Amino acid sequence: MIDSILLVDDENLFHLVFEDACSLLDISLSLEGIDSSDEAAKLFEGWQKDPSGKPECVFVDLNIIGSSYDGIELIRKINFEYGNHVVIGIISSSNEPEEQAKALQAGAQFWIIKSDDIEPRLEDFKKDFDGYKNRTNPFKVYK
Amino acid sequence: MIKLDKNTKSQLIDLYKTKRIGLEGNILKVIDSEGDEEFASYVKDSIDRDKDSRRKRLDITKQVQSQNIDLVKWKEENVKIQLELKESLEKTENSMREMEFLKEEAEFARLEAERMKEEAENARHEAESARHEAENAKKVAEGDLELIQKKTQFELIGTIVKVALWVILGVGGVTTVMYLVALSTGLDTTVIGSTWSNIIGILLTNAFSIVGTIMGVKYASEKKD
Repeated sequence: MIDSILLVDDENLFHLVFEDACSLLDISLSLEGIDSSDEAAKLFEGWQKDPSGKPECVFVDLNIIGSSYDGIELIRKINFEYGNHVVIGIISSSNEPEEQAKALQAGAQFWIIKSDDIEPRLEDFKKDFDGYKNRTNPFKVYK
Repeated sequence: MIKLDKNTKSQLIDLYKTKRIGLEGNILKVIDSEGDEEFASYVKDSIDRDKDSRRKRLDITKQVQSQNIDLVKWKEENVKIQLELKESLEKTENSMREMEFLKEEAEFARLEAERMKEEAENARHEAESARHEAENAKKVAEGDLELIQKKTQFELIGTIVKVALWVILGVGGVTTVMYLVALSTGLDTTVIGSTWSNIIGILLTNAFSIVGTIMGVKYASEKKD
């Protein structure tokens, strides 16, 4: 089971779906949801100094309305500016290969496609999580 | 993992049994029942109840989410339709404005054509008037020319008449003088007498002929006018 998850998504309704799905599937013990990439960046900046409370895994939406930058840019910042080695990836309704290539370049480890039936994808992700944690799994798209 | 003392466990179980109130959420995942079967059963029931409620909430949330997506799509569609309507309205207004402009241009062109027609009419009248004036001037010039010609003719005729009269009078006078001299001096008048009568006859004939010719010419000229 994943210890803690951070979800960065501007759609608050999806926060509820994600939280309930994770709870039902015993994916994580704790889950925090925020709706802004700027807020996420600030949190990671703080965790550089004091890593207590830092999540084990981060799910980032591709397009975060009302934020200064999109999900791919946030992943790039977390990976290359804040140097926090968390399992990180995109959760989006988009399935654009070009965007997925950009996410991979930014250091994303997975891409989960949002849909009504999110649970099977999260279950697959749960199985692969240890591989992402050990950095042994390649980039994967959960369709 | 969290370990609870026996009293707390017993209170939690009693609360569940009497009021159906149990623990909820992820806290249940970190409680260690420490081999207490009754409490383990309580934790399992609470987890099941929590999962049921979460399943129900998840289903409802998904429905709401789906409806929300539909609403967003409808809203986008609505905005798109409104934009299309706005564009159509603008196009119609532009077309109306263009039509109005074309109508104004046509009206202007019509007025211009009427103005040009009036100008052309005026120009035609002016040309007509100029033609009449030119014709009148031509007639006047022709009349003047004819008058000059007649004047010249009359002057010439007058000169001819004068010369002819002088010649007639001269010849007649000389012949008469010679005949009178011959008569007064007693010279032979046979030749001079017949010559004088011939000359006088010829001169009279010619004089009448000249007068007749002049009168004829004058009569012909007056008739022509």
